[in-house]
Amino acid sequence: MVLLLGCAGPQAEGNFIEGDVAGGEAETLNWILAADASSFGYVGYTLESLATYDNQFNIVPRCLAKDIEVSPDGLVYTITIRNDLKWSDGSQVTSEDYVYTLKNLMFSSWLNYNYRDDWEEEVDGQKVFVTPKVVNDIAFMLTRQTVQPEFVYTLYDLTPYPKYIATKYEGNVDAFTQAKEFNELSYTGNLGPYKFKEWLKNDKFVVARNPDFFLGKDTGAPFFQEYIIKMFGTSAVMQAALEAGDITYCGIEPQNVVKFKKIDRINVYTVPTRGYNIISYNQRANGWEGLRKREVRQALSMAIDKDTIAKKIYLGFAEPAYSFIPSSSPWYSDETVLKLGVAPLNNKQKAVEMLKAAGYEYKENGERDVLLDKNGKPVKLSLVTTPGSDVVESMSLLIKQELAGIGIEVEVKWVQWPTLLRQYMMNKVQGSDQEPRYNNGPQAVSEEPWDITLMGHNTDPLAPSGSRVFFASDGGLNSFGFFNDNVDALFKKIRSKNGLDKGDRKKMYSELARLISEEQPVDFIVYTRANRGFQNNVKGIEPGINMGYNYHMWRFE
Amino acid sequence: MRSYIIKRLIYSVIIAWAILTITFILLRVGPTSPVDRYILNIAAKGQDVESVKQAIEARYGLDKPIIEQYFIYMGNLLQGKWGWSFSASMPVMELIGSHWIYSFQLILLATIFAIVLGVGTGMLSAVKRNTKFDYAASFLSFIGISIPGFWLGLMLILVFAVYLGVFKTYYDTRFPIWSLENLKQLILPVITLGTGELAGYVRYTRSAMLDNLRKEFVTTARAKGLPERIVIGKHVFRNAILPLVTIIMFDLGSIVFGGAYLTEIVFGIPGLGQVSFNAIFANDYAVVVAVTLIGTFLVLFINLATDVFYTYLDPRIRYE
Repeated sequence: MVLLLGCAGPQAEGNFIEGDVAGGEAETLNWILAADASSFGYVGYTLESLATYDNQFNIVPRCLAKDIEVSPDGLVYTITIRNDLKWSDGSQVTSEDYVYTLKNLMFSSWLNYNYRDDWEEEVDGQKVFVTPKVVNDIAFMLTRQTVQPEFVYTLYDLTPYPKYIATKYEGNVDAFTQAKEFNELSYTGNLGPYKFKEWLKNDKFVVARNPDFFLGKDTGAPFFQEYIIKMFGTSAVMQAALEAGDITYCGIEPQNVVKFKKIDRINVYTVPTRGYNIISYNQRANGWEGLRKREVRQALSMAIDKDTIAKKIYLGFAEPAYSFIPSSSPWYSDETVLKLGVAPLNNKQKAVEMLKAAGYEYKENGERDVLLDKNGKPVKLSLVTTPGSDVVESMSLLIKQELAGIGIEVEVKWVQWPTLLRQYMMNKVQGSDQEPRYNNGPQAVSEEPWDITLMGHNTDPLAPSGSRVFFASDGGLNSFGFFNDNVDALFKKIRSKNGLDKGDRKKMYSELARLISEEQPVDFIVYTRANRGFQNNVKGIEPGINMGYNYHMWRFE
Repeated sequence: MRSYIIKRLIYSVIIAWAILTITFILLRVGPTSPVDRYILNIAAKGQDVESVKQAIEARYGLDKPIIEQYFIYMGNLLQGKWGWSFSASMPVMELIGSHWIYSFQLILLATIFAIVLGVGTGMLSAVKRNTKFDYAASFLSFIGISIPGFWLGLMLILVFAVYLGVFKTYYDTRFPIWSLENLKQLILPVITLGTGELAGYVRYTRSAMLDNLRKEFVTTARAKGLPERIVIGKHVFRNAILPLVTIIMFDLGSIVFGGAYLTEIVFGIPGLGQVSFNAIFANDYAVVVAVTLIGTFLVLFINLATDVFYTYLDPRIRYE
């Protein structure tokens, strides 16, 4: 009977080939050294984290035996892992491996782990690491001295290094970096649905089915013999490969969605993403002085039609944004945000009135009135952005056109990314010996003057308070110079014991989103949606913001 | 001749060292950092960009003074250590070692394709001057010169892979290098890369042949009653080939540095072009310096080989 039931389930067959464009390739499989998102993604095929989340943001345990227990005071986290996790040598993965990874690798001074900030807290003005401790073979504890309710999401992402291998390289950064076991993921045992097989840079990353996968005991998962990520030089060829049936899955650009939807053997899923676009207003001393006034920023945002951007530029695959919290996030609250840029708050006449109310005058100039600055000169703003994207180009030109509609001339400057970072985003107090940084305080200015930048960002829907790097006064990427005590206080409150209660935290996020949408330090333009094209014989897909969360259950039929 | 070659080799080493030093310094003093490309990813995770930057620079020794980094690099290079690629997570030589063959096979086949067809057609065109064949060859070679390789590659994929299904849309590294499947999948990339050169060679060969066909020694050869095959092959072509060799060798250098890269991008061939391009965008200094150095040596070698080849083609040429 058991045998019959086993035969009734899906069988592993075929190779799943995912297409990706060259810029998206991982840099290392030795994940502790990675700074890019793709590296963690590649490693994830062979090494599950403690937990993930589904499309509704419900936590789905992976290596966890049960959800993380948080003490009532929010300071102690107890993590219990499954007892059937094995390294490649057959030994059990224990809590000692996790604690070793934290204490001896991630918190060490010799390895310089990139994301150590996640594991530090400020105590008496000093940054200190949280304290990990082994409880027993399958349980360990992390103790904080300060409360950070969103710390639990950092924990869910945790993966271990095998202590029995890592100790050989401890203290020697070169040896650790070049360790064959880590660069070829030869230690991953039954920890992932696949095992590393081959990686030819700029070409393909191949993992083979892991018959011992700890989540596959009952289901037989995964169901592909190999999972291959094939790199393409251009998205045009990648999409041609999908059309020809040479690959199983890839992303599809908005302008090609209609074409692919007409192909019977391809399914196209449209899903929300974490990505959004913003226009930053330079409120520092070398931006137009009007941008330091809230009413002026609101007026400018009111003149830019977000619906047009979503419908005409993104061809409907985007939705207007009003906050750093996406509408798909459990922390989003639609009622409180000021919906500038969408009717009725997309109104050029009203924007002109607001500018006049802020003390600015207009001068007749042919067919169009021109806004004058405090010295009676026409206002001319510079919009700085990077070249190479049709979408960014169209958006820049639309912004130029929209602001012309309220009498403001915009000059678009195209600069390469490193130039944008160094000459426009980095700043320092003039005449000081400060090292240029992205936020050197309210008095600091960038090397080159600018007024507006157009950029794409990502947010974390589960822990959006990470966006404090942009909007808090001491935020490391607050390059546009927004300083607001109320905003700082709310970010701090969310990341304190006040935020432990989820209901209270949601209220605080609502208030924060309202405050930022009213202050308009930046104009949130649109949240983008992605289109994913699959050959229609792939089953088990659950479309959504985290549609790959169950990829080990995908199969061919 | 031997002393000339030795002298040229010594010059080559000095030139390569100078280029290596300039490249090294330009990369380090330039405004870019390996961290630039991660900034938004780091920010999305709520991290302090500066501390991540410092961590990465400290790990790879990029926080040391440039002069110290330079001497460490040169010291390692003299011991045969080309460094560690942090964008590929492997030793630089291993990275280059696993990719050069893909560029080499493409460049070799495309060059053979262009030379054989281009020179052959150009010769016939000259011999059959002002015939339909000559007009057709001229017309097609103008088209070949004008078509951008990138566009041609995309069109070939669209027609022969997507619509006709004769070829795969991309280069598949699962096939062994020495296999018919590999040869088959190289047909479209070779046409893409070789067409521009082929068209050029038709024009150059025709022109060089016509120049020589009008010379008195050709009339003499014909007057002596030599068969036309000998006149064209031994007398005219032998004299026409000298300028062609210069052009072909020059083209070879351009292919290595540019043309092959675009073809690799279009067909997804993981050659050195892609390696160097991605390394530049990742600010992976060790790889950029290594591929620049290899390219430099290659061009210097091609120049030297061209000079030596001249002496074989034209015995009047002597180097002291």
